[in-house]
Amino acid sequence: MSELRKDIIGGRWVIIAAERSRRPDDFRPKNETRKVEAGKFCPFCPGNENKTPPEVFAIRKKGTLPDQSGWRVRVVPNKFPALVRGDAPALNRSENGLFFWMEGIGVHEVIIETPDHHREMADLTLAQIEKILETYRQRITEIQAEKQYRYLHLFKNKGPEAGASLAHPHSQLIATPIVPKRIQEELRSSKELKEKFGQCIFCHLIEEELKKGERVVYENEHFCVVTPFAPRFPFELRLYPLRHSAWFSEIKENEIKSLARTMKFLLGRLKEVLSDPPYNFYIHQGPNPNSARDCPDGLAEYYHWHLEIIPVLSRVAGFEWGTGFYINPISPEASAGFLRKEKQNL
Amino acid sequence: MKKKKRILVVEDEKNLCLLYREELRKEGYEVVATTDSLRALELIKKRDFDLIITDIRMPVKDGLELIADIMAIKRNIPVIINTAYQSYRHDFMTWAAEAYLIKSASLDELKAKIKELIG
Repeated sequence: MSELRKDIIGGRWVIIAAERSRRPDDFRPKNETRKVEAGKFCPFCPGNENKTPPEVFAIRKKGTLPDQSGWRVRVVPNKFPALVRGDAPALNRSENGLFFWMEGIGVHEVIIETPDHHREMADLTLAQIEKILETYRQRITEIQAEKQYRYLHLFKNKGPEAGASLAHPHSQLIATPIVPKRIQEELRSSKELKEKFGQCIFCHLIEEELKKGERVVYENEHFCVVTPFAPRFPFELRLYPLRHSAWFSEIKENEIKSLARTMKFLLGRLKEVLSDPPYNFYIHQGPNPNSARDCPDGLAEYYHWHLEIIPVLSRVAGFEWGTGFYINPISPEASAGFLRKEKQNL
Repeated sequence: MKKKKRILVVEDEKNLCLLYREELRKEGYEVVATTDSLRALELIKKRDFDLIITDIRMPVKDGLELIADIMAIKRNIPVIINTAYQSYRHDFMTWAAEAYLIKSASLDELKAKIKELIG
């Protein structure tokens, strides 16, 4: 019998339709259909720095120069961006009040995670993953200083099915002059639930999940990873910092080290259990803390940054697009079980 | 006499292909034009070009695959993507090109970009 479950923060219902005993094999991508990119030109590879715009940040070997080889992590603006840097845009509206528009300002940067075209994040050393996370923090902190960018979205697409156009490991950061709808909904809901439960709803959920344990995939001194109670997709995951904080930019040095271990474990397990699936991950955090209009008093107490990981194992189709109601063929308890099965050696 | 700069135009729509060829010849360039991206690759292997202008959505081999092949053999040739679609901006293979232009009835932007790149 299927079950309807509600995601308390997103306010979304999902159908958990685990009608038969699903195994990870049922979800593994069919690798033979993958495009092979070997030998093709890649604008992100060392030696091709002249094909990208000048770098805005890099972690480099000592003595190497900007926009030349010798980098460990490199950040460049999008060469052909959809949004361009600018001042805070005015909101225009038509006389009949039906149409709204504004100038398309924004920032779009690409974080090239490693010089090695073939080494995905799951296969990198902990030291390299730490460098990537430090880069995330540096870029977010720097762009946040420009308060016309009201929300900063950090995300990664891995594999063509997840929207990656190049295999070379990279993440992206897009800063927008509006706070996206999904974030606004989470903020509204978190505020209401803080009033209802008297504490941050994320902290409350983390406590409950760790107490219960059945959806916990991983835990260390600073982070935990769970399959949410009402996941939209098979093997969907949430990574939460145990220390309450609304913004990724507040992450501390020692937490970056723990986060690197968490990411390596998690991405490694996805690769192992689901045969290197395509996936998306993204950080949800509070709006730009320097934009006073978006960060009312109390937001820092009721919102809690986190990272969502979605392996791309199923297709969103008419029912989901039309209703926002998802059918998930595997229970989150079962997927957590598969992912944590082998003990954590990190 | 100063040697003319040689441009290769790859555009599968025949009339557009002819239009680009004629217009760019009027600007003083030597222009080779083809509607076939496989033929374009053969030409690039055999001859030297100062610039390549390519469409993206083409049969057999699309413009992004063509660019990847060009970069593998002659990576210093500047390339201009000239397409009717904005959506390919999301594809980072476009970064191999020097410019991404949206097709327009006026060729002013295209001509200005060519001038900027090769004079």
